[in-house]
Amino acid sequence: MLPPKLPRLLLGLIISAGLLLLSACGKKDAADPTPQPDARVEAKAYYAANPDFFHFKTPADVPAELAWDDGNDLPEFASPEAKKGGTLNFWIQDFPRTLRIIGPDSNGSFRPWILDDNSMLFAKRHPNVTSLTEDGFRYYPGIADRWALDRENKTVYVHINPKARWSDGEPITTDDVMFGYFFHRSSYIKAPWYNNFYSTKYSGVTKFDDYTFALHFPELRPDIFALALETNPVPAHFYKELGDDFPDRYQWRNVPSTGPYIVRDKDIDKGRSVTLTRVKDWWAQDNKFWRHRYNPDRIRLVVIRDTSKAFEAFRKGDIDYFNLSLAEYWYDKLPDSSDEVQKGYIQKLKFYNDVPRPTYGLWMNESRPLLDNQDIRVGIQYALNWDLVIQKFSRSDWTRMQTSADGYGEFTHPTLRSRSFDIDKALQSFAKAGFKQRGPDGILLNDKGQRLSFQVTTGYENLKDVLTILQEEAIKAGLDIRVEVLDSTAAWKKVQERKHDIQFVAFNVGPEMFPRYWETYHSANAYDVPFLPDGSVNPDRQLKTQTNNLQAIANRNFDQMIEAYDKSDSLEEMKKLAFKMEELLYHDASFAPGFNIPFIRTGLWRWVRMPADGNVRIATSFSEYSLYWIDEDLRKETEEARKSGQAFAPAIKVYDQFKQD
Amino acid sequence: MALNPLTVRKLKRFRSIGRGYYSFIILMGLILLSLLGELLVNNRPIMVSYEGKWHFPTYGANLTGNTFDLGYSYETNYRDLRDQFLTEDKGHWMLAPPVFYSPNENTPYEGVFKPAPPSWMNGPAGHWLGTDTTGRDIFARLFYGFRIAIFFSLAFMVLTYLVGITIGCLMGYYGGVFDLIVQRLIEIWSNIPFLYIVIILFSVIPSTFSIPARIGMLLVVMVLFSWTSMTYYMRTATYREKARDYTAAAVVLGAGPGRVIFNHILPNTISTIVTFMPFTIVSAITAITALDFLGFGLPPPTPSMGELLKQGTQTLTTAPWIVGSAFAALVFILILVTFIGEAVREAFDPKKFTTYQ
Repeated sequence: MLPPKLPRLLLGLIISAGLLLLSACGKKDAADPTPQPDARVEAKAYYAANPDFFHFKTPADVPAELAWDDGNDLPEFASPEAKKGGTLNFWIQDFPRTLRIIGPDSNGSFRPWILDDNSMLFAKRHPNVTSLTEDGFRYYPGIADRWALDRENKTVYVHINPKARWSDGEPITTDDVMFGYFFHRSSYIKAPWYNNFYSTKYSGVTKFDDYTFALHFPELRPDIFALALETNPVPAHFYKELGDDFPDRYQWRNVPSTGPYIVRDKDIDKGRSVTLTRVKDWWAQDNKFWRHRYNPDRIRLVVIRDTSKAFEAFRKGDIDYFNLSLAEYWYDKLPDSSDEVQKGYIQKLKFYNDVPRPTYGLWMNESRPLLDNQDIRVGIQYALNWDLVIQKFSRSDWTRMQTSADGYGEFTHPTLRSRSFDIDKALQSFAKAGFKQRGPDGILLNDKGQRLSFQVTTGYENLKDVLTILQEEAIKAGLDIRVEVLDSTAAWKKVQERKHDIQFVAFNVGPEMFPRYWETYHSANAYDVPFLPDGSVNPDRQLKTQTNNLQAIANRNFDQMIEAYDKSDSLEEMKKLAFKMEELLYHDASFAPGFNIPFIRTGLWRWVRMPADGNVRIATSFSEYSLYWIDEDLRKETEEARKSGQAFAPAIKVYDQFKQD
Repeated sequence: MALNPLTVRKLKRFRSIGRGYYSFIILMGLILLSLLGELLVNNRPIMVSYEGKWHFPTYGANLTGNTFDLGYSYETNYRDLRDQFLTEDKGHWMLAPPVFYSPNENTPYEGVFKPAPPSWMNGPAGHWLGTDTTGRDIFARLFYGFRIAIFFSLAFMVLTYLVGITIGCLMGYYGGVFDLIVQRLIEIWSNIPFLYIVIILFSVIPSTFSIPARIGMLLVVMVLFSWTSMTYYMRTATYREKARDYTAAAVVLGAGPGRVIFNHILPNTISTIVTFMPFTIVSAITAITALDFLGFGLPPPTPSMGELLKQGTQTLTTAPWIVGSAFAALVFILILVTFIGEAVREAFDPKKFTTYQ
């Protein structure tokens, strides 16, 4: 059972990394493994040894008065016009280092293809019906066909669809659910994050029969369904050789999937390409919410190391779609006036989505000299000309980020606005901190002759121009920014070790109900012992590294609010706290909100078709919900037309039904 | 100081090789011009006359907008000021450099930061070679990029030769066990992959350092991995010279090793060294360009040809002038230096002037 969001968050940061540079080769094949005792036997012993967590009861023990939900009243979102068949050609930057979906190296850019986007889960959050109900978000059925919440006992009951099958034909049963808890809590998988998550977020699991189980939680959180339903069972029959050599033994084995696609051994061309194949007669292919999706028979992912080369491959028609989110691609490299677009061979789609926004901005390390001064931080906020970045770099397509939690709907602060570029206010604020005189180069100096100069580090090679613009503008306010562009892994390492002054980075957030604060702002993630028992600052505290508190922010008041927020079971109370915390964060000024990218822009060849309304509200990429289909007849027609020069009507579409102001 | 008649003959011969000689003149001219760079390519004018007062903004501290009653406290935008002077016609004037842009300054084109074509390709006036992806003037970047590259290479050459020649001469002079050990050490040392070291170094000790300090570090690293090749030549040359009578005579007269090596042997091996010099410069320029291209060279926003080439390959179809200018400039400089190198080699060819006993 894979937990929903946090690994994705990491993925977002490391994605595109040169991380996989030394890819593929090397690891030995699991061709001739030594026999291993059956892990299912070990799992049973583990259940018996942990009776507090693993419970076995009979169907009669399921409470009769439960209000079961099956999500079937929700509308479908795929297009009935979709055609099955064909091959989708796309690219990945690095060859996957493993086919495992857990353990070392498994969190790369290939993972969405075998896990996040193409697996089924017990139930999934409805991507269009996103308003909050008293039970949280609405879910549509996946592996489960119904579920129920027992508020009193903080328990979610789930019933698995008896027709559900693994891609290798084995039935999915409660045993796979139980095994999942053994699996994710075991040290064999070498994945401490999962070990911790499955030990702390859940307080138990009960098996009633082969298809009915219940999950017990230590707290009743408003997003309890996300923890209960947005997970996958784990194929016990596949992992029966689980042992200490798990990472090596399972390195290149294809995991049976709950979803519609599998990787066949013969489709792995190491270092060059991987092809996914649609499962024949997939059990859910005619189920409501799942039909008309996952249409291509094959998805071929070719390794192209360089983005500009991949773009050329797209223009040639070797790959079928391309992400045109950067203004440079949308306006210059594939302008509306270009031949392929005007003749209708390539469609350009701009789709406004409505999801929590990745936090693109500057994260200031409060443990650094000068940056520990709030006046300096406020001054820096005023010295950053994000509006010019948005106007001149994104060509006014992006929007200004207002809080650290934009895009959470009712959870986003309705009135708080981030600071705009203002030289006078910046100078005033710097003056309060003692920086009053401009030096010969226009940079402010204090009485000691110290320059107002900070290093800004980033791992985003393609966004380095953003920093160049900020740098040029900041000089006007007497602030010197030294830009450092590192390889993305090195940049992330630097910030994780808290060696940064200021970092330009974003946390990629999943479509969650409410923002997380503990990871990023709690003092427990800033210092080992942040405060003495009497509440005063511990003078000997040591920075804590490898956490997400990039600002090293430690504030007692903030901590208390976060703790209350994390314990709360009332949406209203949580909202109030979230707003208060955002205000506190604004006051603290250690996070300079940058910009939001409110859309997905994609270039598609004419044979790639999308539903008439473009995509679903919370889509974060073109392919995430697999609503597209490949029309091989159109492919032939278009290719012939390219030779003869025949033109079709141009297709440049903007879908702004979910656009936020 | 009177030059050795042999050297005079060599120089005369160099002069007679037209291609190399004129390349030398052009290159020296370019280096001289680049030293005056701030007066020629800059966003600060050479001189401003405002309300009867003369200002010389080029080298001094920066003049805020308030100096010219523009109502802001950061550095004056002199191009706007020039336009204002022209429209107001109050007798204020300024002497602007021929290229009125600094290499790090973003200028919007059609309202956004994107590459602008050169002025002769219907681009905005003033950008002779157009602008790069963030709207920085390509001519200015090439100009300052050349200056940094050439001085970097000169410094690189001096340092590598200093180390390489000293160690090479010592190996040749002392020979024996010393020679043997140092040779093995050099073999081990030169097996360390230079590129990885640069990559590791720049990701591990990046910089609270200033840009000049980081350039200095890059220089040191490159020198550390380049001095070895010079030792081989110097070692053999020294071995050869050491066996000559004049060396023996010097030793008999009581000269110490230092004096023998540097006063007697070195001047006689100078022709070997001199012929290598231009090619070392070529390889240094190529190396720094390649490193910049890979993103491990000079720290941004230092202007560099390699960085422009990199941008150029990414915008090959939309802004061909970026790669075009950078490529042409690089080829031009490398050809100049190579021509000089060939001429020097020919002029200093020992076969022409020495007779073997």
